[in-house]
Amino acid sequence: MTTDPKGLVDHLFRERSGQMVAWLTRVFGAAYLDLVEEVVQDALLKALQQWPYSGVPSNPAGWLCQVARNGALDVLRRDSAFRSRAPAIAAELTRSTPGTMNESPDPVFEDDELKMIFLCCHPALPMDTRVALSLKTVSGFSVQEIGRAFLTSDATIAQRLVRAKRRLRELDVPFDLPSAEDLSPRLDAVLEVIYLLFNEGYASRGGDELVRADLCFEALRLARLVARSARTESPAAHALAALIALQAARRRARLDDRGEIVLLEEQDRSRWDAGLTALGFAHLERSAAGSVMTAYHVQAAIAAAHTSASSPADTPWRDILRLYDDLAVLNPSPLVRLNRIVAVWKVHGSEAALTDLRPLEAEPALQSYYLLPALKGRLLASIGDQGAARHAFEMALALPCSEPEQRFLEKQLKELGARS
Amino acid sequence: MPKYVLLLHDAPDSYSSLSPEQLQQVIQKYVAWGEKLRKTGVLQGGQKLADEPGRIMRQKNGQMRVTDGPYSETKEVLGGYYIVSADSYERAIDLARDCPHFDYGGAIEVRELDTMSQ
Repeated sequence: MTTDPKGLVDHLFRERSGQMVAWLTRVFGAAYLDLVEEVVQDALLKALQQWPYSGVPSNPAGWLCQVARNGALDVLRRDSAFRSRAPAIAAELTRSTPGTMNESPDPVFEDDELKMIFLCCHPALPMDTRVALSLKTVSGFSVQEIGRAFLTSDATIAQRLVRAKRRLRELDVPFDLPSAEDLSPRLDAVLEVIYLLFNEGYASRGGDELVRADLCFEALRLARLVARSARTESPAAHALAALIALQAARRRARLDDRGEIVLLEEQDRSRWDAGLTALGFAHLERSAAGSVMTAYHVQAAIAAAHTSASSPADTPWRDILRLYDDLAVLNPSPLVRLNRIVAVWKVHGSEAALTDLRPLEAEPALQSYYLLPALKGRLLASIGDQGAARHAFEMALALPCSEPEQRFLEKQLKELGARS
Repeated sequence: MPKYVLLLHDAPDSYSSLSPEQLQQVIQKYVAWGEKLRKTGVLQGGQKLADEPGRIMRQKNGQMRVTDGPYSETKEVLGGYYIVSADSYERAIDLARDCPHFDYGGAIEVRELDTMSQ
């Protein structure tokens, strides 16, 4: 038995399965996505049957690729549907040796992955379907993992995937990047899906913590892939990559060792990930090329303002408030306006923040969002209105929130009791 | 030192719905288990069997009959084997006890090799 002492790189199967699906989809065509996924899954299962006995091969990615290629060639021999195309497909399978043969990212392979992302984010598909299909095919998540991440039943996710594949077949969508004139709106759609993936992973709305961490990781990987490819590199893509990296850098510090929520101003800044922070700033710099200003730019700038402050007292709240004002123009959503209130509080004080908060309380989109009454409670407590603060925290507790969020709210209530 | 063969019977389809990430984790568990046995010098070898049920040959009334598997009611498939050295059955069973094979519905048949007659 020979075992590679290095073992397996983290997430190797997940990343390589996405890449192999992209490669084989290019070769077979988007209409054969189901078949392609099956071939790739079979290759992974073969590794599971073989490697416990033989040890991990010295080039695990190359091994998987070779087995997937053989599986695809078997399909060609077996399935008469490919009879006329079989020689061309077989030639392409043999010719294109995907970059899995070595460890570094391969431009041809990345090109396939990029095309796959655009396919999954096709405008003919509903938004939630784009997200599910991207996670399944590009990112190698299982139906169960997607369900856990989005608190949706497996059956619903599976149904979305079936419909998506049928729709792609009906439309006979080509496996290619959009033409130059279509690229801009299609790229926006891709960035939006990546942004959603990240938000879902970053939000602490319950669900499986490990899967959520993986979502953040995956969103960063995809944003970087889009940002570094010649065809899709753009200020917006860099801004999104910067935003994700800077936020992800703080992810670890948001919970303490016992799993309790730690507010930004109380976080141990030495626990912020320096590598991700540096990556974020590098993308931020490149996002400034050109004159485009997207909502991703502004959010990345807000994240950067927090990150650059060496202590909570150094936080440039005036700059942050200005950025939130810009953001509210680009994206006047209730959630942005709610987040802006914190900056108003820090710059203009509690009374001003409470005044700005009032119109938001009527927003239908925020009716069941616990953070609104939670923020109101903190504002009321800071002006000494204990009774109203208590009422606000109790309202927040009655709304859906995760267990750490509940414990955080209960702690706030207890502190009120201690002071009154 | 006596030798034992661990025959790993796989439960069919127990892995088919696992995600790539989960499959990788399962492999890593097996590799860690094998590595532990190798380090202590008890693992003598192992081999995967080919992915087909094999053939069974029987002679009846002078006629050779060759049949394809599976041969029993259970749908388990013999996936492969390991050979370990251990001073007793109990010790051999202990070595197999934390094999990840059990986490996924598999069974392990432990048989002592007859080394006395050699």
